[in-house]
Amino acid sequence: MDNLQIENNILETIKTAFKVEGKVVREKRVEITAHKQLISSILLFAKNQHNYIHLNHITCVDWIEDGEFEINYIIWSPTTKNTLIIKTRISRENAQMENIDNIWDQANTYEREMREMYGIEFPGLIGEHEFILEDWDEMPPMRRDFDTLEYATKTFYQRPGREDAKDVREELTKQSGEEIPEFAKKYSREK
Amino acid sequence: MEDLAIKILGAVLTTIMAFTVGMFYGGFVRKLTARVQNRRGPVVYQNFIDLLKLQSKTTNIAHGFMHHMAPIWMIIASLTTLMFLPILNGNLWFPNISFHGDLIFLLYMMVFGSLGMALGAGQTGNPNSAIGVTRGLSQMVGFEIPFVMSLIALMIQYKTTSIQDIMIAQNESGIWNMFSNPFAFLAALFAMFGMFRYSPFDIVGAPAELASGPVSEFGGKYLGTMMTANSIFSFFKLTLYVNLFMAGAGNINDVGIVATLIAIVILLIKTFALYMVPVFYGWVSPRYRTEQAIRYFWAWPSALGLIGIVWALI
Amino acid sequence: MTITENNIKQPIGEYIQNWARKHSLFVLAYGTGCGAIEIPPTMTSRYDAERFGIRGAATPRQADVLLITGYLATKSLKRVIRVYEQMQDPKYVIAFGSCTINGGMYYDSYNTINALDRYIPVDVYINGCMPRPEAVISGFVELQKQIASGNAYNATKYKENLEWYRENQKKIIKNWRMPDYNW
Repeated sequence: MDNLQIENNILETIKTAFKVEGKVVREKRVEITAHKQLISSILLFAKNQHNYIHLNHITCVDWIEDGEFEINYIIWSPTTKNTLIIKTRISRENAQMENIDNIWDQANTYEREMREMYGIEFPGLIGEHEFILEDWDEMPPMRRDFDTLEYATKTFYQRPGREDAKDVREELTKQSGEEIPEFAKKYSREK
Repeated sequence: MEDLAIKILGAVLTTIMAFTVGMFYGGFVRKLTARVQNRRGPVVYQNFIDLLKLQSKTTNIAHGFMHHMAPIWMIIASLTTLMFLPILNGNLWFPNISFHGDLIFLLYMMVFGSLGMALGAGQTGNPNSAIGVTRGLSQMVGFEIPFVMSLIALMIQYKTTSIQDIMIAQNESGIWNMFSNPFAFLAALFAMFGMFRYSPFDIVGAPAELASGPVSEFGGKYLGTMMTANSIFSFFKLTLYVNLFMAGAGNINDVGIVATLIAIVILLIKTFALYMVPVFYGWVSPRYRTEQAIRYFWAWPSALGLIGIVWALI
Repeated sequence: MTITENNIKQPIGEYIQNWARKHSLFVLAYGTGCGAIEIPPTMTSRYDAERFGIRGAATPRQADVLLITGYLATKSLKRVIRVYEQMQDPKYVIAFGSCTINGGMYYDSYNTINALDRYIPVDVYINGCMPRPEAVISGFVELQKQIASGNAYNATKYKENLEWYRENQKKIIKNWRMPDYNW
């Protein structure tokens, strides 16, 4: 595994510095799972020590079964052309995360979006509360417990004539004889 | 009394002819552009349909007095310039209020419509209009320089500021000005690209980024009136160029109907040929930015105009 | 004096006006949906809508037809209403694609409206996802037929039933801060 030397080096240095979990996913991709209080230090360390100067993205995943949000920071280094993904879990109740827009200014945009779409608070985040949605007074819409179909039926006028619309997933499984996975069954239209 | 009646009738005739010809030329250009782009294109009289439709709009928004006046101002400017222009050389039916110095007068009158437009567009409060007006006036500053230079060259060459005299002199010598002073002609031709606002000098309208610029708040009847004014004005500009550089409609002093018709046909051929120059140039050109356009006009066309003046002096 | 064509009686002035309106449609394409990609082929040499007198307009003031291409987010519905109210009479709306008819694939989305004719009057619906340029042109031809028969008065209906439309619009646009346009 010669070609993963750089990745292993980076993983090792971060592991020794912060005592976090992590693995090399594949070439040019390292993944680290950390506690949320360590995030800004890890990001600063990666930015200053390993030249991860580019913030690709901050994403959020709603793990409703675990009662947690997962926030991923994806950063990239132009010297080694390596991507580093830093994952952290925060509680869904009173979701709060550290604001990192003093490290990367552009983080502000992602954080405002997450504040609006998931309802995660970032203390000290500058910017209007209304970002992409206009006049939104419901639950943050990207949370998985928000029922979009119910909201759409309530708010917009459903035109009749959709009743015979078929579920593509079910039609395909009928044809091929595959099983629908357990987690997908609750999205079925034939209730 | 009879004289006056003929003059008024002639003025009406001139207006109708300028309007029809201008509109048809616009239609021809649309059709030809379509054919060049391998399309069928609209019918030749599409501009008339558009005009009729615009005039049969039932509501027209007015933002204020100047907004209301701008199309009227434009059409007044177009008609005034048309009235001062000799259409046919010394023909009874197409008279003109010609006098010594009308070239200088027309030079001033030609910007009158654009200024009215600018004032009207200013009152709409639309930011696109404001940007369009700025661009338009900048472009005008650009192309006026070579244009005025070439006119000065003609004035020096013939020692007159009367269009009629320049036409007569060309007909007498038998050499068109486009050959006797080619540099002045070229400078004026380049200026014409800017006047007609086809590509690459369509920086005023710029539908992609300016939403048609100064006219963006004008709809319905206002737009129709502007279209009429523009058609008349384009006929005026073409005829002015033909008069100055291509000896007008030739040396036909007969008042008979046949002779008049022949003269009109000659005029139409010449104007159409001249009109095709900016149109052809537009087909193969993308759009310039404002400063590129001004630089364009102030470089070679202005230099050619200067050479034209020197040529006329020698 | 009246003229009868296709069993429709019209005064001659109106007939001529309708003929001109029919053959000169200035289209304002509201292209925020994916359907906007079908407009360039419709207008350019492959399908050439200009031979029907259909031409792009740059601003709502100059336009006759508002072409809604594809889904409308609640946010862009506000802009569409503003654009529609800025247009001058007579004005027509062509709604384009399944999304404007019943929401299409976004029927359960929290931020796209489902039935456009609840908010602005629609003259012609073109279905399909996406409708091809032929379908777009056939929609225009249908609109031309309506104009020629003198039945395309949906803009008047909008003014008459403004209360109803406003109620529906305000259900989506909760914070109603719209300028008043004197149509």
